[in-house]
Amino acid sequence: MKIPDEMLNILYGNYFGYVCTSDKHDQPHLTPVFFVYDGQSQKVFFITNEKSKKVKNILENPNVTITVDIRDPVNPFNNEGVMAMGTATITEKGPIYFLPEETLKLYTDIYMEFKGKYQAVIENKPLGENDVIIQINIEKMVYWKGPHFKSVKIGKDT
Amino acid sequence: MGVGVGVGINVGTTVGSAVAVGVGTGVPTGSVGPTHPANITDKIRIAKINLIFIIPSPERVMVLVINNFIDCDAGVGFIINALHQSSNMAEGSKKEMKWIYEEIVGRIPPFSLLSYKYSILLQLLFLLVLGLILGFIFGLKPVSLIYGSLGILVAVLWSLLILQLGPTLRKFRAPLSKDENELLERYKGILFHRNHYEAIPGLAIFIPFMIYIFYYDQVLLGTWLGDAPNLILLLFVSLLIWDICYRMGLGIWTSILALWRSFELKKIAERRTELEHTPYTELRALRKLDINNVFFGLISLLLIPLLKSDQMLVTMIFSFMIFITFISVISAYVVSKVPWLPPDIYNLVNGSSFSYVGTSLKGVPHITPVVYVFDGQRIFFNTSKEAKKLRILRRNNKVAFLIDKRDMSNIYENKAVLFTGEVKIYGLWDIPLRFIQMLRARKLFLLKYPDYTKKYASSELPKAWQLTPIIARILVEVKPVKILYWRGAKQISVPV
Repeated sequence: MKIPDEMLNILYGNYFGYVCTSDKHDQPHLTPVFFVYDGQSQKVFFITNEKSKKVKNILENPNVTITVDIRDPVNPFNNEGVMAMGTATITEKGPIYFLPEETLKLYTDIYMEFKGKYQAVIENKPLGENDVIIQINIEKMVYWKGPHFKSVKIGKDT
Repeated sequence: MGVGVGVGINVGTTVGSAVAVGVGTGVPTGSVGPTHPANITDKIRIAKINLIFIIPSPERVMVLVINNFIDCDAGVGFIINALHQSSNMAEGSKKEMKWIYEEIVGRIPPFSLLSYKYSILLQLLFLLVLGLILGFIFGLKPVSLIYGSLGILVAVLWSLLILQLGPTLRKFRAPLSKDENELLERYKGILFHRNHYEAIPGLAIFIPFMIYIFYYDQVLLGTWLGDAPNLILLLFVSLLIWDICYRMGLGIWTSILALWRSFELKKIAERRTELEHTPYTELRALRKLDINNVFFGLISLLLIPLLKSDQMLVTMIFSFMIFITFISVISAYVVSKVPWLPPDIYNLVNGSSFSYVGTSLKGVPHITPVVYVFDGQRIFFNTSKEAKKLRILRRNNKVAFLIDKRDMSNIYENKAVLFTGEVKIYGLWDIPLRFIQMLRARKLFLLKYPDYTKKYASSELPKAWQLTPIIARILVEVKPVKILYWRGAKQISVPV
């Protein structure tokens, strides 16, 4: 299904995302992340340390939600955001020459995307030794502006 | 300086007692091992030999377990001896934090084997039985027995309250601030001083009181014991009087010290920088001890029937009660005003306007941005009654609550704090109980988000957004168990 433009605008136009994971006891954990959205595969990617709590939680429970929003301190009617729910996959890690072609391409692509989006921040820093890329396969998205909500289900076949 | 080896062997059959020696030189106490004997016993419960290297130095020898070696057999005798030696060596350097009373009771077999609550109850029973037997032998009137029992009851109630100080302070986690830690150490040092200063106020009450009832007011002794009391009875009663006076003294001693500690802590806390603070749990423990002391004061009123024939003594009990209660209430209040968040996090929480609430139901996480207020002690957010997060929280009240400062121009300045824990949802029942709190939270919302409030109030809104407190907007309090803090890209875990 096609994702409405207002959702795409938010996903493309913002720098901070908030990722919520939860462990096997249903204790949520929430962190701000830098992320990129890939319109073609309809997936969200972010980079994190493989030792982080997020990764630990994802290994216990792959369900992940990310929220991206615009906040207006004056007028709540201008608050606008997207919450994307789905499952996460952690890209495998290993020395470059052992990685399959596909993963390698993903790494380069995502890294280039990150570099493009967060130029000022990343500069020319390569991926850290313990960094892994996490992709969120979005299944459902909720959009809100002020008090109005809209939600979209994303089929697995797309 | 030599190096020795300590062996910890589980010799427990039923009690599971174990002996272990841990010694460190210049090592912070925490790194040697937990200081609670019970934990260690648990850990070495499986028959396993523990080797711990000992590096003795005269000023710092740590003895971790000196408990329950009753059923040790000869094979481990040398370890116990070694323990005794090192404990003598250690005397003074490592504070055991015990009062005379705790120390004595902790050594007499039936009491030393029980947990402290049961040990106190057993003491109550023991004294009562002893008193009753003496009463029957010497043919006391029933009134005297009731008086005696009342006295014992007061002494035991006081013990229950005041003896919580030791265990609580022994468990106290060190503040993450050098000055605050020093203050707490000093406080503990005076409270459980090796010279047992805590007995002085008790003596100061006991001696004049004894002189008074023996020389000036014979009526009192007469009403308690009849006209010609036996010497043994007099001794028993004197013991009881000492028990009560000693605890009265302890009450005065601990509440004055607590007041001093609270004021100092508050003063030092104002000079904190960055992440310095005392964990919130420990602040609450201190406040709880102060509130215990309030009850301590109130219990003294039970003594009035005993002294009712003497106006002056009744007045003194009243003043004692007022003194203790007053001091403890002030102390508890001052402690409650010590900020529980370190300044960096405090400023972040105080200065941001937005936060994110993460919830999870059946493994599916959910996030929403919310507005929140912080009253210096507690964090509240508001939500619509219809909101999904509220429906989730009602079924699983675990929460992740994130407040951050985002600044793309300089990411090294980015800060975020994550509180994980639980929430309390304010419902109808809380209106009568926590009316003032709820009102204050509402006022804070009005102050912090005046534009929001105006917008909410003016236009025709969907039902979910209307600002009728409680009916359409639900107040939720965040109760953190764990705090994580990020500065730049660095993550720091802050104890609560």
